[in-house]
Amino acid sequence: MAGTDYAAGTDYPTGTDLTADADADYAAGADVDYTADTDRPARAVAFLPSRIDRALIAMVRIGVALLWLQNLSWKTPPDFGQGDPPGGLYLSTTYAVSHEVLHPYAWLVERLVLPNFTFFAWMVLLVEASLGAFLLVGLATRFWALVGIAQTVVIMLSVVNSPNEWIWSYLLMLLVHAALFATAAGRYGGLDGVLRPEWQSSRSWLARLLVRAS
Amino acid sequence: MKPHDALDRAALVLGVVSIASALFVFTSGELEVVRVQVAGVVVALVLGLLAIAAGWLESRTLIFAAGVGFLVAAGVQLGLLARGSGGFLGGNASTFSLWLGLGFGLIAIGMVPRPEPEEEIAPEDQNASVIAPSTDG
Repeated sequence: MAGTDYAAGTDYPTGTDLTADADADYAAGADVDYTADTDRPARAVAFLPSRIDRALIAMVRIGVALLWLQNLSWKTPPDFGQGDPPGGLYLSTTYAVSHEVLHPYAWLVERLVLPNFTFFAWMVLLVEASLGAFLLVGLATRFWALVGIAQTVVIMLSVVNSPNEWIWSYLLMLLVHAALFATAAGRYGGLDGVLRPEWQSSRSWLARLLVRAS
Repeated sequence: MKPHDALDRAALVLGVVSIASALFVFTSGELEVVRVQVAGVVVALVLGLLAIAAGWLESRTLIFAAGVGFLVAAGVQLGLLARGSGGFLGGNASTFSLWLGLGFGLIAIGMVPRPEPEEEIAPEDQNASVIAPSTDG
């Protein structure tokens, strides 16, 4: 089976020793998750055998976490920008109606979200704070990458048609969260990489859940 | 390398991250990723040093305590924000998020069950290491 050599970025022919780089890292004492891509008892090939690749994935995860962290600064409770003139999160949310992207979503915002704005604003703050928190330390990263995708879709549906917005900002946010999910980014320089072996050897429901979330 | 070295090292790294976050006290504008003011610096340094000490001493209890400390600080910050300002901690929601991550991270590390020190090397293993291998054919 031909595949991609993640260290070199090239295809390799059938019969190539896929574990060569991983074995070198193992000998050097590197934290390589050999069970990353298989449930089989035999040792699996590390998904990202190169240390540079693992460091880059960790940097991307931390960068995305800092994006969420910094953008909490303008979500200010308790009014979240409600007032005259409106600002902050409230103003952004009203764009979903004034600069409609998708009619059913605009209807939902107008009829449900804006009349109960304080509740939804707190939910946004808690979700985005959790995104920053968990992506930063790399805990349950795959789950939070999915939450990041969902939250990005919500933001897109609210503001993408409003003035001075660039749709590719949000598409890039979607793609980077998809990459965090696909690479299980918390296993590289994150707590998922350290804790996952413990969770895998545990029979508790929480540990099994965390194995799936990481 | 002992199996739990990586956990202790992770706690130590989270402590270093906390101490490094105190540097945000010197930033403003676009570079102010996390709002940290004087009281926040104290929280970051004290709890960060506790996490470093906990990792250094391989103490699960101290790691857990540092995690709880960060969660308490995050909770207080959130409560102050709900009242309309950063309050005496001087932070904002980004500060809450940072401390939330450090808190849950340290607690997750501290919750990993570890063998007692005497369980780590079983007596028979200790004997095995000092018995010379037989050369009999």
